[in-house]
Amino acid sequence: MKQKNSRGAAFPIFCVHKNENISATARYKCMRRSLLVIMLAITLIPLAIVSALNFVQYRQLLREDSLANARWSAESARAAIDAYLEKLEAAIIVLIDTYSFAELSEPRRLNQVFRQLKKEHQGLVDLSVIGADGVQRAYVGPYRLVGKDYSDSNWFHPALSKKIYVSEVFMGFRNVPHFVVASSKKEATSDEFWLLRASIDAETLDRFLAAVNTEAVEDIFLVSDKGVLQSSSRYQGGVLSEYHLADKPKQSGMLLSEDVRGEDLFYRAVSRIKNTPWLLVLDQQGYAKRKIWLFFKGRLLLTLSLCALAVGGVVIWLAGFLANKLKESDEARDAILSETEHTSKLASIGRLAAGVAHEINNPLAIIGEKAGLMEDLLGLDESFRHREKFLAQLQDLRGAVGRARAITHRLLGFARRMETSLSLVSLNEVIHEVLSFLEKEAAYRNIHIILQLQPELPAIMGDHGQLQQVFLNIINNAIDAVGNHGEIHITSYPGEGKKVQVAISDTGPGMSPEVRKHIFEPFFTTKMDKEKRGTGLGLSITYGIVKKLGGEVEVSSELGVGTTFILSFPAYQENGGGEAHG
Amino acid sequence: MAEVKILVVDDESDFATTLSERLELRGFAAKAVSGAEEGMALLASGWRPNVVLLDLMMPGIDGLAALDLFKRHDPKLQVIILTGHGSTESGILGMKRGLFDYLMKPVDIGELVEKIRQASEVAASGG
Repeated sequence: MKQKNSRGAAFPIFCVHKNENISATARYKCMRRSLLVIMLAITLIPLAIVSALNFVQYRQLLREDSLANARWSAESARAAIDAYLEKLEAAIIVLIDTYSFAELSEPRRLNQVFRQLKKEHQGLVDLSVIGADGVQRAYVGPYRLVGKDYSDSNWFHPALSKKIYVSEVFMGFRNVPHFVVASSKKEATSDEFWLLRASIDAETLDRFLAAVNTEAVEDIFLVSDKGVLQSSSRYQGGVLSEYHLADKPKQSGMLLSEDVRGEDLFYRAVSRIKNTPWLLVLDQQGYAKRKIWLFFKGRLLLTLSLCALAVGGVVIWLAGFLANKLKESDEARDAILSETEHTSKLASIGRLAAGVAHEINNPLAIIGEKAGLMEDLLGLDESFRHREKFLAQLQDLRGAVGRARAITHRLLGFARRMETSLSLVSLNEVIHEVLSFLEKEAAYRNIHIILQLQPELPAIMGDHGQLQQVFLNIINNAIDAVGNHGEIHITSYPGEGKKVQVAISDTGPGMSPEVRKHIFEPFFTTKMDKEKRGTGLGLSITYGIVKKLGGEVEVSSELGVGTTFILSFPAYQENGGGEAHG
Repeated sequence: MAEVKILVVDDESDFATTLSERLELRGFAAKAVSGAEEGMALLASGWRPNVVLLDLMMPGIDGLAALDLFKRHDPKLQVIILTGHGSTESGILGMKRGLFDYLMKPVDIGELVEKIRQASEVAASGG
């Protein structure tokens, strides 16, 4: 339970499972997912924030730039129209102040003045003199307008009351869009007002506006306060079409507005043109520097995508790497825990075994001695009737005591395996010594023992007697396993990482995975023959000794093929390496 | 060679008497006692064994303390510990205090006789 809790606490955010009995694989998958999400969040969120800030900042700059651009374009157009009108107005005022009504009413004089005026003022269509009654007294221009009565025209009465007047664009008698610039004067002789009127083609305004109609500007036009277009508009219609502005600047100055239409931003600058009924409207769709903006957006998106891809890749790899590392570390820890548990189990069993052995040895010694004495006495008395039968029984009894003794002595040996007397040991020598005990039995059973011992094998630090026991147990097991005519290969060689290794392979029946799992447990035996029944302690003693000396035992076995034990010990090094544990 | 005298000291008197009987059958002069105190009393009475077979775990004076007593009484005396409780430490401790050998119960009589003979030879040579 402790392990589960500690693992759960390691990644509690995304791995809260109601059912705690999830598999280890699921836990590591979940942890990998958690790591992935957390790392993606801590890397991509700042990236996204920085990009968003950049985006907003850059858009703000471009907006401000666009607004400035709209203001500047509108200002330029207004200034151009202003300048044109001011110059024309000044010229007309000079003429009306210079000449009298009678002088300008002369066609020749008017014609002369008109030609002069037309040279300097483009768009000028005609010039006329209108009396206080609204009747046109003199006219120079392409239309036949002499004698026309303007007293009912919208512009006439306001013009009479002002020194200078600029009208809205209208059709008039000529039926062509134009506007007039008129100046009034009181005639000293008659004490009546008269007008000098110049008509200008409405297209003149279009020409001024076209001069600022750059790529960035979507539409630029003039509209009157009454909501009538004074110039043609790209989107709102031709001259004299109706168009009402929602917002107008009050007197002078400029009104700037921003509007979002669909995905684009829309800017509008509205400016009054001084002393006229006109409002200049400039529309600018999107950003003035649209290409730069699109380029920036594309680059930002590309950079963000590449960064996200790179970060994503690294994070996926890193999450997998960390999860694997953690898994490996957990597995190593579990292995150590399990090994410690195993060793501790063996030690407990060892202590128990020693106690039991001791308690059994004393009564066993009494039985043995009593049986021995009976045998001795029977040996002295040859006349006893059942002597042979008794001797046979006593021999069985001593045999049984001998078996029990063997068990108790091995139990005590098992308990004693923690005590080691260390010296430099040559494993090749130990193998030869052990084989000298076993070679008779091997020869008797026609077992072929093939030795491949590396002559230059490094020595190890170990307990000579215990190592003998280790090899005796394993080789003895191999002899029992191969049966008659079998083969046992014993190979010694220097292993990787300054190790000395001995492999003992037999051609016996091999072990099932289930048997393989239990072979190092005390009292586990597969030798069930009555004559050679095993104690089940040999391999657990072997395991304990090898581990104590800092070594490892590996077992591989296949049913029907055989079993291989590989013993690895740290090679002795003069600088203090290769010492046994404990 | 003169008769070898053996003192068997073991709180398991059944074991001690049976073993001494068997040793007598093999030509030794053996006596069995059930504790170190009794053994020391026997020695004090003037009976001088060559070899003592001594149990390790006994009530009262234990085997190692008894070893000291016997060796102090007669340094030539050879002591073999015969115990059901085998531990290397007690063996080493015993050896340091002049123990001749250390055998585990149940012991093979042949092996024991051999050890006794070796010990008696050592005793005869003056320890």
